[in-house]
Amino acid sequence: MAVAVSEVAVSRRPVWGKRARATINSLVAIILALLVGAIFISIAGASPLPAYRSLVSGSVGSEFAIGQTLIQAVPLLVIGLGLALAFRARVYNIGADGQFYLGALAAGAVAIGLPGTFGPLLIVISLIAGALAGGFWGWIVGFLRARWAVNVVISSLLLSYIATYIFTYVIRRPLRDSTASGLLGKGIPDAAQLPLVSGFGVHIGLFIALLLVPIVGYVMTRTPFGFRVRMLGMNPDAAQTTGVNSGRLIIVLMVISGGLAGLAGAIQLAGVADRLDPTLSNGYGFTAIVVALLGRLSATGVLLAALFLGALNAGGQAMSINDDVPYAVVLAIQGVFVIFLLVADRLARGR
Amino acid sequence: MNWNEVIGSSALVPLFSSGVALAVPTATAAVGECFSERAGNLNLGVEGMMLSGAFAGFIGTYYTHSVAVGVLCGIGAGVLLGILMAGLSVWLKTEQVINGIALVLFAQGLTAFVYGKLFSTSSTPTISTPANLHIPLLADIPVIGPVLFKQNSLFYIAVAAMLGVIFVLYRTRFGLSVRATGEDPAAADAAAISVDRVRWIALLVGGATAGLGGAVLVVGQLGIIQTNVTAGAGWIAVALVIFGRWNPVYVILGAFLFGTTDALQLRIQAASGGVTSGFPYEFFQALPYLVTLAVMVAVAIGARRTAQPAALGAPFRKEVAG
Amino acid sequence: MPDGRVSSAAANGSSAVIAMRAVTKRFGDLQALGDVDFDLRPGEIHALIGENGAGKTTLMNVLYGVVSRDAGTIEANGKQVDIRTPQDAIELGIGMVHQHFKLVSTLSVVENIVLGQGGHVLVRKRRLAGVAERISELGERYGLRVDPWAKVWHLSVGEQQRVEILRALYRGARVLILDEPTANLTPGEADGLLEKLKAMVRDGASIVFITHHLEEVLGSTDRITVLRAGQNVGTLVPADTSTGELARMMVGRAVSLGGRSRDVAALGVEVAAAADRPAAQAAPTAGSQAVLTVERLRVFSDRGELALDGLELSVAAGEIVGVAGVEGNGQAELEETLFGLRKTAGGRVLLDGVDVTDEAPAGLLARGVGLIPSDRYRRGLVGQLTVAENLLCDRIDKAPVGSRLRLRRKAILARGADLIERYSIPASGPAQLAGTLSGGTAQRVVLARTLSRELRLLIAAQPTRGLDVGAMESVWEQLEAARRRGLAVLLISTDLDEVLALADRCLVVYGGRVIAQWARAQLNRDAIGLAMGGAQPGGRGGDGTDAGLEAVTGAG
Repeated sequence: MAVAVSEVAVSRRPVWGKRARATINSLVAIILALLVGAIFISIAGASPLPAYRSLVSGSVGSEFAIGQTLIQAVPLLVIGLGLALAFRARVYNIGADGQFYLGALAAGAVAIGLPGTFGPLLIVISLIAGALAGGFWGWIVGFLRARWAVNVVISSLLLSYIATYIFTYVIRRPLRDSTASGLLGKGIPDAAQLPLVSGFGVHIGLFIALLLVPIVGYVMTRTPFGFRVRMLGMNPDAAQTTGVNSGRLIIVLMVISGGLAGLAGAIQLAGVADRLDPTLSNGYGFTAIVVALLGRLSATGVLLAALFLGALNAGGQAMSINDDVPYAVVLAIQGVFVIFLLVADRLARGR
Repeated sequence: MNWNEVIGSSALVPLFSSGVALAVPTATAAVGECFSERAGNLNLGVEGMMLSGAFAGFIGTYYTHSVAVGVLCGIGAGVLLGILMAGLSVWLKTEQVINGIALVLFAQGLTAFVYGKLFSTSSTPTISTPANLHIPLLADIPVIGPVLFKQNSLFYIAVAAMLGVIFVLYRTRFGLSVRATGEDPAAADAAAISVDRVRWIALLVGGATAGLGGAVLVVGQLGIIQTNVTAGAGWIAVALVIFGRWNPVYVILGAFLFGTTDALQLRIQAASGGVTSGFPYEFFQALPYLVTLAVMVAVAIGARRTAQPAALGAPFRKEVAG
Repeated sequence: MPDGRVSSAAANGSSAVIAMRAVTKRFGDLQALGDVDFDLRPGEIHALIGENGAGKTTLMNVLYGVVSRDAGTIEANGKQVDIRTPQDAIELGIGMVHQHFKLVSTLSVVENIVLGQGGHVLVRKRRLAGVAERISELGERYGLRVDPWAKVWHLSVGEQQRVEILRALYRGARVLILDEPTANLTPGEADGLLEKLKAMVRDGASIVFITHHLEEVLGSTDRITVLRAGQNVGTLVPADTSTGELARMMVGRAVSLGGRSRDVAALGVEVAAAADRPAAQAAPTAGSQAVLTVERLRVFSDRGELALDGLELSVAAGEIVGVAGVEGNGQAELEETLFGLRKTAGGRVLLDGVDVTDEAPAGLLARGVGLIPSDRYRRGLVGQLTVAENLLCDRIDKAPVGSRLRLRRKAILARGADLIERYSIPASGPAQLAGTLSGGTAQRVVLARTLSRELRLLIAAQPTRGLDVGAMESVWEQLEAARRRGLAVLLISTDLDEVLALADRCLVVYGGRVIAQWARAQLNRDAIGLAMGGAQPGGRGGDGTDAGLEAVTGAG
């Protein structure tokens, strides 16, 4: 279903102020969300100030904390970059969670199934397998949209549910960890695990993620491909008339965003979980949407947003341990935050 | 794996009866969403509205032991989210797709928090669902009787709501305005209709029905609550509107298809021997989603002309250029 | 009258039914109306003329409550009134038929008329039937027959206009404002409309008639008011003036086209003498192949109806083929299909003999096909990009502005500035946002982008829609220049004057096929007008060949 987006003629606004204004809006939204969060925390029976102190110390207060923040940030960053690119063209891939799980599944299957003779190459192959699996799952959505105008939001979401069922089946039967009491998949061999960066306790997947930032940024802003992606998002009819192959572009974007989500799953498996665990994703596919929006669909923005939300997640965990505040507060804050962000952006722009 | 147990001749009527019951929450939300989209609102927040309705309904019934209160709470929660959605889409006119996604994230976060706050993780709170009614005479009709006329009270409330929405859409002055607004808001505006007002109300109706659907799901059927209890039913509702081609009657039929598939997979799960068996029951768990996707694709392939309201998703701004 | 409606009889000694005084309206920087006076006498047909952008529609939008005025007063029947919404205007008995119909196409005629009206909450069959009866009654009285139960998207443009008029009459309008009512009618239908308006006036209505077609104005109206650049430059009686004078008042100067000096009044009234026109081939010389050939083209519209039903045409190098016709006969679908924006359901499109049916726009661009789209804001420009980016977006990955992997920002600006100068685009610079450009400037950007490519075929769809005369001139010049350069030009236009002025051959499309064609020397406005209404030209039926018409390869 092609969603009609009307574009009213753009009034003359000074472009130089745009980034400053966007940053201010983000800060306003953050502050408001934290205020509301404080209300939630008091409802939860804890007192806000000590809880927020845990939040801060749990996210940036120690080397360990920073490591936790970075660990949380990595999947958000990788998925977020892919979503930012796709969202630029108004291709709203909401099924990143499913692509994430399939990526982890493929990476795990490859890591477990291949003989150990591959050595360090095993990591590389399994990561690539993860990216390919996610990319394929994304391709389905893109193809359905390009060929038959099937709505991307719905199809990506339905496929996401289907993907999680596939994952559940595989870890229940073929790749089951028979020694575990609950539902748990097998562990991957040591050779397939990502080594840690000393000191912070973060795996080197962090560097993969950081490397992606300038690459995606460059693609978005300095290549004809990125130009066409942006054009497609601004005015799909004009884009088509001037020679942009919108169907192909949509497919490519879904493959990239699905592939990055799959890669994120593979990295999470190889760097953090070490085994095929049904709780591999902490709702990363959805939080990454918030990351992409907060990051204003730009690569550096997504990096900062991923760090922020990663800090929120890590701090939230600390809060739940230290102050007995349910982790769900973080989810609530995130939810409120998105709304405030939308409102702040719109009010700043004028109606 | 005893297939006869699942789809044998004696199993069919209970299957359809269950299918109809399972379809109702989604159908209610879908009919309301259809109404909302006919006015031009692309409301992707249905999942959040259903989830909130489910939670509010559960909480309402849990603390007052009254099904009626639960239902009202559910509707109320849906309306509140409808107000939020309308504030974003109709008043501020921000990008409707994003608004919907944001609303779902908001509702998921909030309900997870409330759940964690009110119910400790050790015990699973339950409420008792209302008993099935037995409508005299009608329930005795073979096949259709047990399927349609032996459901519980919430089922009939939901059905009444759906019929009410359909009636309003096609037989009232307001419904005519709704249909005009989604197709050609400029024309509606020229006919002295307040496009924004119509869209506000349509969104509130959509929110109310989604909240009702969520409440019916939890209070009328499941009797328990958990995070993400709606499991994508709201998204299915949006899909149903598309492949019902924005006609509420087809939407209901589509919901029935989805509900029956869901009932089928539940039975298969039960008959398959559970977690330890080798039977890939996850495939059947995924079946309703697969079927929904397949039908959506089939409709997209087959559609020669577009049935989508022309102004769907586009915020209306009065043209001022001379 | 007790219900406050404007009276057709002179009341209070004031002879004006509507009097607008010193009306002013600004849209941002633009002064759309400056201190304009306008009055309407009872029982008159008052023409309001001016070129595109002069403010005619804005003035009436103020009267009808669509737009608020910044200053000035409005009096109805001598009493000052405050009209803020169309509802206020309707209550005063003012009705408006807009240029772009405000009908909901998926609803039926009666539903459209009932829309927005008060009355019972329920819409019962009986009420609709009552409305249908009244509609039929009014239709009979004024010759505006239409099937009240038909869905609007089934109706022709002329029929839809009838619905709009009936709606205004149904609501009791005694003052009727018609905005460019003949723009989408055949010449025959236009004459018919004017007759019907006279009948309404005899019944007590007063009519404001907005148009930019001067010949209509002199024959059928009682008074004429000319607007130019938001000012009222005079109100005249037809007997005292001529098209020449009106044209000069509209534009403020004589207008020259393609090297000839013509008054704007000559637009569409006379076709330039064949001798005037630089030697052109009325038909391609025998043996020269057509650049574009369309064979038995079948295309479906968005509504699933057959928009093109076996359409055939050809265009040779160095000629302008004009496709005339009333809007809604497949022109939009033709434009889209020829540029790969819509799939065919049958037939072929050949470019220089090569089958390019259903090829994507990118492929067609590479083959030298250019499109000036009919909707320049939707298909032509991206408002949030700069002028330079819009000018170069179709070659953004080619030297000098980019390569497959890189955009060269500085080169884009430089080349953009270059094109701006070459095509005299009045933009403030290559970095100006395209969304801030006026209609005429925006069209210049589209033209510059298209014409700066290596082209074999140029498809120009409604190229001067909504443009003022100055911009119109510029577009016509560029089309003529393209023809001289040897391009094949397909001009699709609902503006018959435009087609008559430019085309070497004129085709008429009706019901999705070409039903007639004329060579330039045989252009006959009346016959073309009839064809636009579907009447097959005399002689043999349907295939367009006729004693009075030239076949494509016949003697010139």
